[in-house]
Amino acid sequence: MIKLEKLHKYYDRQHVLKGIDLTVEKGEVVAVLGPSGSGKSTLLRCINFLEDPTSGIVEIGGKRVDAATAKKKEIFALRTATGMVFQQYNLFKNLTVLQNVSVGLTSVKRMKKDAADKKGIEMLEQVGLSSKLSHYPAQLSGGQQQRVGIARALALDPEVLLFDEPTSSLDPELVDEVLATIRRVADTGKTMFIVTHELNFAREISDRVIFMEDGVIIEQGTAEQIFTEPAVERTRQFLGKAVQG
Amino acid sequence: MENLLDLNFLIESFPAIISRLPITIGIAVGSLLLSLVIGVAAALIKIYKVPVLSVITSIYISFIRGTPLLVQIYLVFYGIPKIIYFLQSEYGWLQSADVNSIAPEFYALMAFSINLGAYLSETIRSAIESVDRGQFEAAKAIGMTPVQMMLKIVFPQALTAAIPNLGNMFISTIKDTSLVFIIGVIDIMGQAKILGSRGLAFFEVYIAVSIVYWILCIAVERLLVKIEKRARRYERGIA
Ligand SMILES: Nc1ncnc2c1ncn2[C@@H]1O[C@H](COP(=O)(O)OP(=O)(O)O)[C@@H](O)[C@H]1O
Ligand SMILES: [Mg+2]
Repeated sequence: MIKLEKLHKYYDRQHVLKGIDLTVEKGEVVAVLGPSGSGKSTLLRCINFLEDPTSGIVEIGGKRVDAATAKKKEIFALRTATGMVFQQYNLFKNLTVLQNVSVGLTSVKRMKKDAADKKGIEMLEQVGLSSKLSHYPAQLSGGQQQRVGIARALALDPEVLLFDEPTSSLDPELVDEVLATIRRVADTGKTMFIVTHELNFAREISDRVIFMEDGVIIEQGTAEQIFTEPAVERTRQFLGKAVQG
Repeated sequence: MENLLDLNFLIESFPAIISRLPITIGIAVGSLLLSLVIGVAAALIKIYKVPVLSVITSIYISFIRGTPLLVQIYLVFYGIPKIIYFLQSEYGWLQSADVNSIAPEFYALMAFSINLGAYLSETIRSAIESVDRGQFEAAKAIGMTPVQMMLKIVFPQALTAAIPNLGNMFISTIKDTSLVFIIGVIDIMGQAKILGSRGLAFFEVYIAVSIVYWILCIAVERLLVKIEKRARRYERGIA
């Protein structure tokens, strides 16, 4: 279970997250929608303290971390309990595909190299890339890189996966393979947060949709509710055609 | 009959000069390695803006850039023994060190490491800063410690990017080692000087030694191209 309590984030004087409260059950898939600049990325990045929340509490798997008193150790624990998939993939350029997936296992989880490689290969099989083990990221298409990114995030067995616009940098013809991979991960019962502009995908995959604007969750509900009868006018406007369809 | 050059003397001087190549290469390579350590440390101190140390580092870099290498070599050569002697007599430290038995090669190594370290630190700093922020974020996100992030992800990419600059500085250092004879190191230059005064044929020996430097620098340049190609193999795309 993941719990966010009164999460605030300021960049200098700009108030970007204005007290986010949220509880997500194990296995839930949450789609985060909202206009650009509404704080979606900041929300994900505060969950694993890539950005320090200014105040508030992040609780994952029973471990509560208060932003006011967070210690390095607690932050590392949060980061190993979360896996992040980036819009720009951010694969380690100097490492091979397999090393990208296994480096967290050997260096963070202190696994032996053999065991880490074995697990790494397993993860890459799940995303259909076990034939590219010794390729470097630069030798892969964007879609393949993002699938390695997903395997890397999965390898550490995180409680929750955080996707920040995982398909927004991809050429349109490569989007489907990545969405299919994410769908397959969702089917295994992983808890996931997905920030996305792929509305149809969000509607299909998510158990819950959160609509953010200006640092606040202005509406949330099941995908059906939000897409067919949004309660808030702003959500209706944003979803536009998707609502009618 | 007066010849422009004593060709025989010139040719015969090569073996003796070349026999001193290990000294020249040793000082250059040794100070490259030491200065990499200094350079990385100084770069990190400045990037992380470590209090006090970053001020000291700035002064160090500014001093090295603002004074001649020759002066720095003298400062090390005359300064280190004085400092050791002072520490021995005032504090009883370093009792086992015998100032008189320190080889001049050691001072040369120190002087060049200190000098090159300052120049490398700026190159390394900008190379580290040029590593894509996403690489840092991904490393943090999987729970790497800052040290792991630096060692496994950031340094390999930064040093690869810095190879051309590091290589140029290394080649300059090889040439600059020709100054070490002034503190009594017999490198290839020192050997050439000795041969020249023995045979009163300075033009010949300096031609010989310049050829040795030239070939050495060409060889190092070639090697650097190979190293860079190998280090950059991960950047080659599908294209
Ligand atoms: N590192 C940062 N420094 C300063 N301002 C930032 C930073 N990151 C994001 N912001 C600002 O915070 C607001 C929310 O950004 P973000 O979370 O990226 O929104 P979204 O992902 O919904 O587009 C924006 O106004 C953005 O300019
Ligand atoms: Mg964003």
